[in-house]
Amino acid sequence: MTILIPLLILLPLFVGLGIFIAGRKGQSVVGLAVGAAALVFVMSAMLVYQVAQTPSSRELVEGATIVPRIEFSPSWLEFDLPVSIAGHPVSWHLQFGADGIGALLVLLTGIVGLVTIVLAANQIATRIENYVGLILITQSMLMGVFLSMDLLSFYLFFEAVLLPLVLLINGWGDAKDALKVSRKFLLYTLVGSVPMVLGLIGIALHSATPTRPSSVSLPALSAIAAEKQMAAINNVGGAATDVVTTVASLASSDQWIVWLLLLGFGIKLAILPLHTWLPATYTTSHPNTTAFIASVVAKLGVFGIIRIVIPLTPLALATYAQWLFGALGALAIVYGALVALSQSDLRKVLAYSSLSHVGFITLGLMAMNSEGLSGATIQMFNHGIITCSMFLLLSLVEQRRGHINLNHKDVGLASVYPKIGVLMVFFTLAGAGLPGLNGFVGELLAMTGMLRYSGLFAGVAVLGTVLGAWYGLRILQRLLFGSDGTHHSKHIHDTADLAPAELLPLVAMACICLFIGLQPQSTVQLIESDISRIVLVSEASSKAVHPEVDQLAKVQP
Amino acid sequence: MDTLQTIKSSVAHLSPAILLILSGSIVMAASLVLKSGNARDVHNQRNGVGSLSLVLLLVAGVLAYLRGAPTELGHGLFRFDSTAIAAERLAFLGGLIVLLMSWSTAPRAHLGEYYGCLLIIIGAIPIVGAANDLVSLFLGLELISIPTYVLLGIVKNDNSGAEATIKYFLLSAFASSFFLLGLSYLFGFIGSTNLEVIQHGYQLGGKLTSFALVLVMCGLAFRITAVPFHFYAPDVFEGTSLTMAGIMSYLPKVAGFVALIRIVGSGIGSSAVDIVIPVLFVCSAITMLVGNFFASAQNSLRRLLAYSSVAHTGYLLLAMTALLRDNAEANVLFSYLAAYAAMTLGFFACLGEIEAAGGKTMLVGDLSGMFYRRPAASVGMTVCLISMIGLPLTAGFWAKFLVFMGTIASGAKDPWSIAMAILMAFNAVIAAGYYWRVLSKLYEKSDAYVPLRVFRPSLFIAYTICVVLTVVWFFVPVVM
Repeated sequence: MTILIPLLILLPLFVGLGIFIAGRKGQSVVGLAVGAAALVFVMSAMLVYQVAQTPSSRELVEGATIVPRIEFSPSWLEFDLPVSIAGHPVSWHLQFGADGIGALLVLLTGIVGLVTIVLAANQIATRIENYVGLILITQSMLMGVFLSMDLLSFYLFFEAVLLPLVLLINGWGDAKDALKVSRKFLLYTLVGSVPMVLGLIGIALHSATPTRPSSVSLPALSAIAAEKQMAAINNVGGAATDVVTTVASLASSDQWIVWLLLLGFGIKLAILPLHTWLPATYTTSHPNTTAFIASVVAKLGVFGIIRIVIPLTPLALATYAQWLFGALGALAIVYGALVALSQSDLRKVLAYSSLSHVGFITLGLMAMNSEGLSGATIQMFNHGIITCSMFLLLSLVEQRRGHINLNHKDVGLASVYPKIGVLMVFFTLAGAGLPGLNGFVGELLAMTGMLRYSGLFAGVAVLGTVLGAWYGLRILQRLLFGSDGTHHSKHIHDTADLAPAELLPLVAMACICLFIGLQPQSTVQLIESDISRIVLVSEASSKAVHPEVDQLAKVQP
Repeated sequence: MDTLQTIKSSVAHLSPAILLILSGSIVMAASLVLKSGNARDVHNQRNGVGSLSLVLLLVAGVLAYLRGAPTELGHGLFRFDSTAIAAERLAFLGGLIVLLMSWSTAPRAHLGEYYGCLLIIIGAIPIVGAANDLVSLFLGLELISIPTYVLLGIVKNDNSGAEATIKYFLLSAFASSFFLLGLSYLFGFIGSTNLEVIQHGYQLGGKLTSFALVLVMCGLAFRITAVPFHFYAPDVFEGTSLTMAGIMSYLPKVAGFVALIRIVGSGIGSSAVDIVIPVLFVCSAITMLVGNFFASAQNSLRRLLAYSSVAHTGYLLLAMTALLRDNAEANVLFSYLAAYAAMTLGFFACLGEIEAAGGKTMLVGDLSGMFYRRPAASVGMTVCLISMIGLPLTAGFWAKFLVFMGTIASGAKDPWSIAMAILMAFNAVIAAGYYWRVLSKLYEKSDAYVPLRVFRPSLFIAYTICVVLTVVWFFVPVVM
């Protein structure tokens, strides 16, 4: 069933383009889009099932850390460029494939795409046919990123996501700021992604030797990286120099690459000093769009780090940026939570809470050990589901009550919209990390991983969870139970609670939260072998560079 | 090798160029004779000369196609290698689009002169590309400059047009004299006008060679609008017609870069490379920074495009360093020029259509809401602008990607080249800012917009070709 891979990319692309270009107003187009999105969702579920059924080794396969379990790389995807590098003509083979991590995100994209399109039918007032078309196109580009198994197609899709997104932000955002904000989004992302391509080219060129032409295939590159790094750590054949020197020299040759890559992924990730596009974009776009961006597009940065930076340049990452990014992640948790606490605009509260939650993911990644990476990966999925639901709820509330300001006295919504109230309580608790719901699993694992690297950052993260519960409960208190609902008559547009078509997707999302919270091992099993292969490389380099930091190892020798 | 044989095969290989230059001269001369007659119908004759030029270009293209693979021609005035062929293709591609653009924008009073000059320019670029001697190189370059003065003078007969013409004429003469002075030093130092001999001579080193090289590069910097020889570009772009601005942004640039490859191309030896590379780095850095920062500050669309053309020169100069270090074939540079031709000429053709239909195109603000007034041209401009930004799905992506690749490939030996690549990446982002400004203007909503309904098939065909090439080259970059 490797046909699933091209279908997942091409089906939403062609349907989306068709709807975008030829679509006419009306429900029939939306029906077609919902049908396509449903098909994509079914296919992504089938892909996950198939990946889960394919056995996968926990050890390196032919030296490679990145091993697709399903592969799609026909010979016609050979790509020739009109240059020659190091004496070899450049002929790169594009590969697509899915491993556990990619499959999990494909599933997330499938779910989020379906839910946002279903809800868009009632939410988006103007040019609905263009809107759903663009969502489908974006979905296709994201599938391309998550399913690519080479640097070139990864970058092409990564960059191509920009175009439909800018149109989505611009076309359906707040009329006043949309143009400015979409420009900010475009430029911010380009500041990261254009230099990032230099890093990717650098990785490809470093792989070329006089006997071996350059390659962009991720499995091949990860094997080369693992071999080089193990040779440096074990100091193969070098009695003349010590391990510290060989590690440092390998790290410094990759230094510029890792900085450029982290700049690109860091901006997508909204790492702290580079985060200002995020609140602006999230508050200006239509909440339905934001649900899509916050849940999947923001994961591109995390995915890039776990797919490219950690397996391909682990030593340089550990040497130069592990501590820095760990610190920035911890800072983002507290900073995001504190700003969320002090905002009264509900969109801003949710935007900063998203910033705070991404901090947990960064923290997990930078632990570079088994718990941390599993936690980060699971949290990517969980945060996607929770944020998507929260922004969709916000969208539904705004449709009924206009812009929500938590300081207003007339926002006691629970008595008017009991269904919205129940769902909002549920998702807020999931976001705050209540045991038994999905947010708990990822954050706990990420913090455990970080504890082994740095007790300080883990401590800050724990503080963040307290603050997270605080601002979560503040939203509930103000928004749902702020008054007894008697003052609502002035601002009321619509007293109807959720319609079945709106309720069903959100209840399904809630079921996913509950399922992962109660059965986390199902998700863990999916990604376990992929993570453990990466950890073989990443933890080794983390320990080689920082031999002093594994805190748990010291307690239990 | 027998001299006669060399001349014969040179003529055979240069036949497309010779055809264009000769017929261009004949068209020009014939228009003088025809002018005296009474029966001159301006409108009919325009299409007559226009289609004659298109047919001539087509014949030249067929001749070039039939000519076959290059053979050994000795070491005389001309040589035929991949550079010569690439220059010819770029000239014919640009020439085709420019001729189509001229169809409805050429000045009615001077049609013969206009098309004659244009044909000579298009024919002169392959001469520069095939030059293997200082004499033939200079001949080719002047065959481009002199018709350009004439063209600038006749396309727009008002104060700003006259200002642009005189500015270009004086500065161009100035640059040519720099170039000649450099050539004379090269000849004096090495004792030959043959470029292959001169390239070997570089290895002798010496201050005089570096001085001569810098002088030659100054002369060529004018043709490619590199800083600090770019000052004429904004004024000329603003003062002349749109089609002419398109010609000025592309054809002299191709000639300048091909001449640069001929004089400091690959195989000049490491000592000469060590002299040339830092000069190119500094020139490239300043050119792209000046181009992008000044373009960001412009409200005039023409000046913005002029500075954007300057910025592209900066990127091309970086590609030139990659070529010198043998990290990449000359293809990197030619691919960029091909993508540049498609996106820039396409953009000018779209603007030309808007202007021909009665819209204004002087300021960025004039394009406000153009999508609702002239959808086809606006979509064309959108593709061209996305290509200029360098986003995927357009040829502009590969153009920048290949320059990055060629530059980074020497990063292990020279960290400066990585720094230059990073600088170029950030410049590309600055450029994205002002291209986005133009792009968002196109789709801006305004209350009153009058549809522009006049349809110009020639301009439509011109930008359709450009847009199709821009998109197709993304998927098959190897033919770029």
